[in-house]
Amino acid sequence: MTSNDKIKTPTKEEVKALKPPKGVKQKGIKIPYERRKALYGYAFIALWLIGTIYFFILPLFESLVYSFNETQPQRGVMHLDWNGIGHYRDAFRKDPDYSQFLVEILGSTALKTPLIIIFSIFVAVILNQKFRGRTFARAVFFLPVIIATGPVIEVINGNMSTGGYSAGGGEQFNTLFETNLVDQLLEFLGIYGISESLTNTITTVTSDIFNLVWNSGIQILLFLAALQNIPFSAKEAAQMEGATAWEYFWKITIPYISPMILASLVYTVIDSFVDPENKVMKLILTQGSDWNYGYMAAMAWAYFLIVGAALGIIVVIINKFVYYEVG
Amino acid sequence: MATKKEEKRFEKEMKAAKKAKMKAMKAAGITLNITPEQRRYNRRKAFVSSVWPIFRFFILLGLCFIILYPLIFMFSTAFRPNEQMNDPSIVWIPKSLTLQNIQQTWDVMKYGATVLNTIKLNLVASILQVITCAITGYGFARFNFKGKGLLFVIVVLMIIVPPQITTIPLYMQYSYFNPLGLVKLFTGDTISLINNGLTMYLPALFANGLRSGLFILIFRQFFRGLPKELEDAAYLDGCGPLKTFIVVMVPNALSSFLTVFLFSVVWYWNDYYVSSSFFNQNDTVALMLKNLTATLQAELFNNQTVGPRQMIVWLESGCILAITPILVMYIFLQKYFTEGIERSGLVG
Repeated sequence: MTSNDKIKTPTKEEVKALKPPKGVKQKGIKIPYERRKALYGYAFIALWLIGTIYFFILPLFESLVYSFNETQPQRGVMHLDWNGIGHYRDAFRKDPDYSQFLVEILGSTALKTPLIIIFSIFVAVILNQKFRGRTFARAVFFLPVIIATGPVIEVINGNMSTGGYSAGGGEQFNTLFETNLVDQLLEFLGIYGISESLTNTITTVTSDIFNLVWNSGIQILLFLAALQNIPFSAKEAAQMEGATAWEYFWKITIPYISPMILASLVYTVIDSFVDPENKVMKLILTQGSDWNYGYMAAMAWAYFLIVGAALGIIVVIINKFVYYEVG
Repeated sequence: MATKKEEKRFEKEMKAAKKAKMKAMKAAGITLNITPEQRRYNRRKAFVSSVWPIFRFFILLGLCFIILYPLIFMFSTAFRPNEQMNDPSIVWIPKSLTLQNIQQTWDVMKYGATVLNTIKLNLVASILQVITCAITGYGFARFNFKGKGLLFVIVVLMIIVPPQITTIPLYMQYSYFNPLGLVKLFTGDTISLINNGLTMYLPALFANGLRSGLFILIFRQFFRGLPKELEDAAYLDGCGPLKTFIVVMVPNALSSFLTVFLFSVVWYWNDYYVSSSFFNQNDTVALMLKNLTATLQAELFNNQTVGPRQMIVWLESGCILAITPILVMYIFLQKYFTEGIERSGLVG
């Protein structure tokens, strides 16, 4: 709006006409409506703006500065010695673990994310149907949302492995594959050779089913919400045309929930990268507790930039396939 | 509006009427005029709808088991005497139950005081955060101002930047707290906020608490979904924007408020990373649980080294104590967790 005003410079007569006649007294200062609204907008976000500058932008900037310096904590200030990109070079060249863990995390996220998305769409579709005990099933499936971010589940899993219990209910599925059933199945079908890496992949997936289920709470919630927003008319039309459930799923459900697929994709990727339990994060935190703040900041920033780039690429690609309803 | 009971009855009656009609038609010798294709479609539909519920039941049962498995383990071990942990004949069901573990863990964790402290921190921070995030979200949803796009990018950054990046500079800021030199001006020296609840309250007060970026986004989406006419009417009646927000928009957003509040409570309850950075003592339940191994060794075993296997029952009791409050809240307010998001406008 404001840019519009700039382009159209009013002529002198117009300005004269806009000025109030001399006889009329004005109360206070008159500000144009649009600008007044903009000022109110600033007022509404002012609190957040102050907070963000102090609690987010400033620390973010400072950590960026740390990453280029040797740091020495002293009273009141951080003593800095300029180091250029030394920390970054060390992280990628000298550190024995950093690059390796980074590749591992990227790989496992690339494998896990589509699985989580597919799984949560599947569960959301089931939970959206009407059946007895649905409330209970929903409550159970959202339980991870409540518990998973806390330390409880980690403690329990640790105890289960020390206690000799298989960690996670997924182990039962896993034994199926550890006896190499997949191999035998493939050989039975006459497929040789590729099975080595394939079995490995399948084994990681199945042994990870516990993490899969525990990490998809929010995603299920998002998809369920999207499913319930599908207009009834679309469903009715599909039924009239005699669409099977399969066709209905691909032609109606998927397009309608595709914006949510993008959203939960982003959420899943961030969740997996930011998880304090992943290896890179652990490495970064160890540096922090060893007082190597400069090195830690450099590692964190490099990691964050790589994650950001990966996320950007995903969003740009997926966004092409998303169906937005006009309206 | 028909109640659920009535709806069920209607459905039953409709089915009965349909059946009676079909019977009458059959008796009269009238055959339905449908093509083979339609018949096949109907048959397949009937088949699927009879078999699918069985599959669905087993799928859900299996998945529910996987989700509940750790909790089953927790309840199974927390109430058994420690000796029975090493009994190979016991897997899930202990031979006798005891409350001793819970009692001992309760004492070690100083549970009463810790829980009260956590609840205080939690409620104050969550309430502040919900209010300020709502105000900010409304500002982003309904007003046009210069730099809005850039500022919104910052909100998104708040969501995706891991807190680990900013923790150490923040620690420096808190331990020598001196915003704009104001504190030094009044007290003569900087003050340390470490171990002070203000490290939680202050960011929440300025809409920068835990995951507040996400909450701002939720509120923005929600307020954008509300019809503009609501506000126009209020403006015409002479309300200023602030009064409009409080009188017209907030009552409409109550369900959204509740959802954000609940999630905020949960996340503050579960957080141990941020609080462990700014609290040296085990002030909150999550921190206490995180460091329970060390505390147990110090207080229950008199600093003897004990194998992790010997501590399982106490650790699991600690887990039960730590999640019970949040679990109880979830059981009673489950509806608002699941339905709230659906209505809060995150979608669309």
